Amino acid sequence: MISELVRATLESLYMIFLSGFLSIVIGMPLGILLYSFSDSRRFITLYRVMDLSVNVFRSIPFIILILLLIPVTKQVTGTIIGPNAAVFNLTVAASPFFARLTENALNTLPRGIVDSAQAIGVTYRQFVLSVLIPETLPDHILNVSLLLINLVTYTAIAGAVGAGGLGQLAINYGYYRFQWDVVLYSVIILVLISQIIQLVGTRVAKVLRK
Amino acid sequence: MSILEVSNLCVSFREKDKATVVLQGIDLSVEEGSIMGIAGVSGAGKTTLLRTLNLLQKPDSGRVIFDGTDITSVSSETLRILRRRIGVIFQNYNLFRSKTVLSNIAFPLLVSGANKKEALERARAMADELGLTQRLDAYPSQLSGGEQQRVSIARALITDPKLILLDEPTSALDPLLTSRILRLIMRVNSVHRVTVIIVTHDMDVVKRVCDRIAFLEMGRMVFSGATHDYFARSYLAGAEDDHSTRQLENAESLSASSPGASLIKLVFWGESTREPVLWKCSKKLNVMVNIIYGEIEEFKNGPFGTLLVGVSGEDSTEFLTRLAREVYSMEVLS
Repeated sequence: MISELVRATLESLYMIFLSGFLSIVIGMPLGILLYSFSDSRRFITLYRVMDLSVNVFRSIPFIILILLLIPVTKQVTGTIIGPNAAVFNLTVAASPFFARLTENALNTLPRGIVDSAQAIGVTYRQFVLSVLIPETLPDHILNVSLLLINLVTYTAIAGAVGAGGLGQLAINYGYYRFQWDVVLYSVIILVLISQIIQLVGTRVAKVLRK
Repeated sequence: MSILEVSNLCVSFREKDKATVVLQGIDLSVEEGSIMGIAGVSGAGKTTLLRTLNLLQKPDSGRVIFDGTDITSVSSETLRILRRRIGVIFQNYNLFRSKTVLSNIAFPLLVSGANKKEALERARAMADELGLTQRLDAYPSQLSGGEQQRVSIARALITDPKLILLDEPTSALDPLLTSRILRLIMRVNSVHRVTVIIVTHDMDVVKRVCDRIAFLEMGRMVFSGATHDYFARSYLAGAEDDHSTRQLENAESLSASSPGASLIKLVFWGESTREPVLWKCSKKLNVMVNIIYGEIEEFKNGPFGTLLVGVSGEDSTEFLTRLAREVYSMEVLS
């Protein structure tokens, strides 16, 4: 059973961190675009479209989203079960979420700092890379912890429809075969993973907050 | 030569379908190398005017000509380059929280493509000039208000701007720090040969550092000219914020006790302020001069004196004619 637990844990970690990484890579630029477009008259229509799509994706329950995505998942990953298919589903669900988190964090940048950067004559690229992101970095770190912890839950849900990992272990051995100890161990490991992610995130953010 | 020329500037803020006019028909001309004060009570539009000068606030109409270029009509790319020659010191400094003092000061240089090593070297020299050498590695949150302000000044000066804009530089400082920062502003003005525009509601700041003043009231410019001229007029007009109202109360009770005396308000400026003008003008005349109230203040552009006197005697008219030639301006009250 221990080897089963270890394998499931590794699968879960693989799904959490790979989809987390991909969601950041996709969601962060989307969030920056949302932030930039919301303030510009020229792109306000584009902002509204993006804003709406983010809301739509975020309001679909994850388990339903997995079902809706089945044809796409099959196209992209060649299968609809297993960790890789799950990573695709998780990324689709979590990217809009992270985009919204990023937008919110960027919106906390005081207007005065934006003025300051503008008065100095920064280009858009310099603004994003040297002012916008560094000035809000602690918030982004906290967002990453929040994202990863959400993915812990999502991964467990994906386990219910064949993704593998601790979620599937808990359901197959625990729920269907009444091996409640397996459920218990799975839950303990999931809680531990969440705790560690939160702890690290809070620490790093604290160090970065000057 | 004027470095900044503003003509017929209008600004309004739009919120949904309601528009509030903030600035109306502002004309302004700032001489290169001078210190100009923009004064007025809170809500008069001072800060908005300052923000319009480097187009942080877009005007509805009017032109802002900086160093020969109308910045209201250039591309955003050109505006970006032009802004590098205008340093801004915001009221709450707006330093980058994630950067050290040194990186904050060097940032404008790095942005304009300077070599990193050279930029840091110049930033160190600038920090040294402003007495920040001990705090180079500190973050803004670890600095006192005065230190943050000096970092902000250093950051504004590092690119050798032609013009710096200061928004209420003394509003958060105690009297000692205020004196220090005003001296610093004057030194920066003369050493770096940079034109300075200061927004302030503190008329004392205007007196001490400004060559000229633009006075705003409800979004309109009600005075624009030399500092001493402004204060001479407001003294003669008996402006509320002046001592003259109090002086007049004293004077009225006094003139009641010596009937027949006329009350005269005098303004001195420059050389004549310290000369015995009353003695000179009353020589060999049959007049009695009674000094009721007077003071001399040191303005940036020379000593400025105000005097309230009572005059009586048969040669009063001749005395007043002589006096009018000697003083900066005067007014006979009664």
